Amino acid sequence: MNDKITRRRLAAAALGSAAALHAASRQAPAPAIPLDLNAAKEQGRKYSETLAKFDLPMSTEPAFQFKA
Amino acid sequence: MADFTDDIFFATITELNAKLKAREFSPVELVRAFAQRLEQLGPRYNALALPLTGPAIKRAKDVDKELKRERTRGLLQGIPFGAKDLLSTAGQPTTWGARPYADQVFDYDAAVLQKLDKTGAVLIGKLAMVELAGGGGYNIAGASMFGPGLNPWDRTRWSGGSSSGSGSAVAAGLVPFAIGSETSGSILTPAAFCGITGLRPTYGLVSRYGAMALSWTMDKLGPMCHSAEDCGLVLAAIAGSDANDPGSAHKSFYYTPQYYRPPKDLRIGYAPVDFAERADASARPAFEQALAAIRETGAQLIETRLPDLPYGALTSTIIVAEACSIFEPLIASGKVDQLADPKQIAGLKAGLEISAQDYLKAMRIRTIVQQKIRRLFTEVDILLAPSRMGPAPKADEPLDHRPPESTAPKDLGLSALIPAGNLAGIPALSLPCGFASGLPVAIQLAGPPFSENVLLAMGKEFQTRTDWHRKRPKVE
Repeated sequence: MNDKITRRRLAAAALGSAAALHAASRQAPAPAIPLDLNAAKEQGRKYSETLAKFDLPMSTEPAFQFKA
Repeated sequence: MADFTDDIFFATITELNAKLKAREFSPVELVRAFAQRLEQLGPRYNALALPLTGPAIKRAKDVDKELKRERTRGLLQGIPFGAKDLLSTAGQPTTWGARPYADQVFDYDAAVLQKLDKTGAVLIGKLAMVELAGGGGYNIAGASMFGPGLNPWDRTRWSGGSSSGSGSAVAAGLVPFAIGSETSGSILTPAAFCGITGLRPTYGLVSRYGAMALSWTMDKLGPMCHSAEDCGLVLAAIAGSDANDPGSAHKSFYYTPQYYRPPKDLRIGYAPVDFAERADASARPAFEQALAAIRETGAQLIETRLPDLPYGALTSTIIVAEACSIFEPLIASGKVDQLADPKQIAGLKAGLEISAQDYLKAMRIRTIVQQKIRRLFTEVDILLAPSRMGPAPKADEPLDHRPPESTAPKDLGLSALIPAGNLAGIPALSLPCGFASGLPVAIQLAGPPFSENVLLAMGKEFQTRTDWHRKRPKVE
């Protein structure tokens, strides 16, 4: 189940209008999600869980301005 | 007019340069011979993206004139080469291997091509690649608008990716050397599967200006050649500071292996489990022989292993998150559906959901990876492992086709050296080391940042003791 807030949903919610929600759903008819997309999302969730389990010192900064 | 035999088509840069100097043939003759061969045989391996025969011969005529005036520019002068089709060439299509970009044309040359042009090397063609360098996570050899990269040693096998055309073109003697790119394995893998020598330089050593961006923090460009020495010569030509590349390390590189420590003074870390248990059974004899050859150099072999870190989750999260930002317009427009591999399409679409929290967590853990790998290099000078655990897979099978997990040993050894090395930004050199089931296999040497000369010196030493890099596939 995809419960992410998309820009369309956000716009619809901001307008507070059932009509806007209806229009959003009309513009983007929900296609049958292909198997590959579900598998890719599931893989992403697994990676997310793996990363979440990793304890880091608070002082660890991301490798921005990356240099080898 | 020289008789162009296989001895010329499979010659190293140094050998070709000696023949040019001896006037056995002119640069125009050499360029024409290779360009015709690339045009004729490149499609056989789905290796050719775009022939550049006309402009190449024109350029070779200029080089001819220079040589007649005795204006010499070094060993690459008059040597033909190919470039992965993610490098922009002014006025010519640059497709990134992907159908949505089939008509893309830039008005400037990539920095590496400008640098090679200054040495007098002559670009004879753009080489095929996996679409978008495989950023969405591909699972079929056919993930390219050029079709599956086919291996010159056996056309039912994959050439490796994502620098598939660069690997097969060098292996089949269609170009003396090629430029490939690596984000996580895209130079080392095709080099290993095709039986050639490939060098992944330190992150930032070679400018990526004019190259397709897949992952700003992980993309590297490097040479794919017939020998370690050739890799050194090409790296010396393409390395160096570039203000146009925000990731530039602002370092130069001079190929001087003679000034580096001899093998007997080197400590080489390896994990016996990689060679004896993790490698495919068919490849173990070749890997054992390679290990013996390294030992014979006098180097001290030390058992080691990589720190236990989630390399797969890190590389995937970072690459996909950055790729999805780069290719957001492609995904949002729906043109992403024109890609050849459904897994890539799905991977890029799903990647838009990677949260900032996950990306930042991955980049923070990456800092730990760098620190721990740096610490590992206080204990050893070089890490040694199989480049890939076995030979090239079949081109018509899913690439994630694996033997049952239960057979894999728990000790991971250095098996994650490709993702770990790419996360840490360290250099690595893939060296052919024998055959398994008639297909090439290879070892890799990885070192600390900017240790290319150490790796190349060791690679050269290995290649003086073995002749695997001189083996040629039957090309018809």
